[in-house]
Amino acid sequence: MTESKLSAAVATPDHVPASLVYDFDYYHDPALCADPHMRVMDLLKSAPPIFWTPRNNGHWVLAGHSANFEAARDVEAFSSEIFPRDQMAELLAQLEETMGRIPLAVPINLDPPMHTKYRQPLQKVFSPKTINALSGSIRALAVELIDEIVDKGQCEFMTAMAEPLPVQVFLKMLGLPLERLAEYRELVSEHLSSVDSSNAILTMQKVVAAMRDTIIERRDNPQDDILSMLWKVEIDGAPVSLEDMENYAILLFIAGLDTVMQGMGHGFRHLALNPDLQDELRAEPEKIKQASEEMLRRYTFTVPPRRVSRDMEFQGVSMKKDERALLYLPAADLDAREFAEPDSFNMSRERAHIAFNAGPHRCLGSHLARVELQIVYEEFLARMPKFKLDPKRPPTFHGGHVLGVDTLHLVWEV
Amino acid sequence: MKIRIDKSACVGNARCANISEELFPLDDDGYIKVTEVDVPPGMEQLAKRGARACPERVIHIIEE
Repeated sequence: MTESKLSAAVATPDHVPASLVYDFDYYHDPALCADPHMRVMDLLKSAPPIFWTPRNNGHWVLAGHSANFEAARDVEAFSSEIFPRDQMAELLAQLEETMGRIPLAVPINLDPPMHTKYRQPLQKVFSPKTINALSGSIRALAVELIDEIVDKGQCEFMTAMAEPLPVQVFLKMLGLPLERLAEYRELVSEHLSSVDSSNAILTMQKVVAAMRDTIIERRDNPQDDILSMLWKVEIDGAPVSLEDMENYAILLFIAGLDTVMQGMGHGFRHLALNPDLQDELRAEPEKIKQASEEMLRRYTFTVPPRRVSRDMEFQGVSMKKDERALLYLPAADLDAREFAEPDSFNMSRERAHIAFNAGPHRCLGSHLARVELQIVYEEFLARMPKFKLDPKRPPTFHGGHVLGVDTLHLVWEV
Repeated sequence: MKIRIDKSACVGNARCANISEELFPLDDDGYIKVTEVDVPPGMEQLAKRGARACPERVIHIIEE
């Protein structure tokens, strides 16, 4: 990363005191891209718990745990509708004139009560009960992927495990044809490289186009899958439309694949760096559940955006209507005011983290993510010998709304 | 000992049920079903752990 990749710094608004300004480009900060959570630890030491950065058009960053916890639960003050509703409608109408229909990741980008109406139908499908029933087939998929690499002595973990497993689970749950796995993996990789760029809309349209046939087919011939189930729900007393279905499909695609994938990436890098922890978990696999939970806290990786909905004082900081604020959850879960010795990996912590956010936007897929992560840790540790980072190819990372792992080369003896 | 739950603030993390499904029963959507529970003797530690596990901090222990 070079200085030139940083976005231009804009002038600080008058109501923001100099003491709250801290220069942080959440996409391209060089230290963040070199080792994300190391930089997050440093951020907590060197920046105020709520600060203003002049990068990326200027915005607030909520770094402290208390700021994140309060803002995440105060959905009236901190809106998930990143543009006010009328502006958004205008913007969409303009874009759609040239681009055609643009799918929206409903309801992640809506405030209650609309959020509740669109989220309610999804709750049962992603409840712990429904998800636990899938664990057998998730385990079988994980074992299959591990069998393919176990004799090779090395792998690039992201492409060998972290990406294909969630994609296959996604296809299975939605009822999408497994023989099109390659096509969907291609779309995921396109999504990852276009995310937050102007190509992102085109990718979303391609994803919807890839699913449309199956979506329509399930309306006419329902089966035992999510798409068929969603056709049966009503939103506000009206049956779902094809557009609603496409929006749901996009939500599940962008929220369900990139995220759990990065969780695995961070977790396996930690394991590769800590052979003693590998030994401990191999000897006592019943500890993996707690280990998996502590990985989520230690390497919280999502950064949800919010819009300040009115002029207000928030925890002593004056904010103005329509300013942007990032819930910097990776920092919240590494805040020493909340978690003693936050950078140490401690499986016996009982205090709950907010890796899946707090408040009504709590990650809908959290139960699925937990099951996928736990199973991958269990099966990988049970089937693989001690693994470490490939000294010749150190891992690479990225910033943005999901702190992620680009590549993670692992080696082991065969 | 009693458990009191601010049910309207539950967002379905289900971490309490992960500690004890008996003390913290969930509905089909995975949200807490009850607002108050009398903790049976011997389950006090589980009740406390369940309360600490709630990311929303909406589970309160009332010692009698």
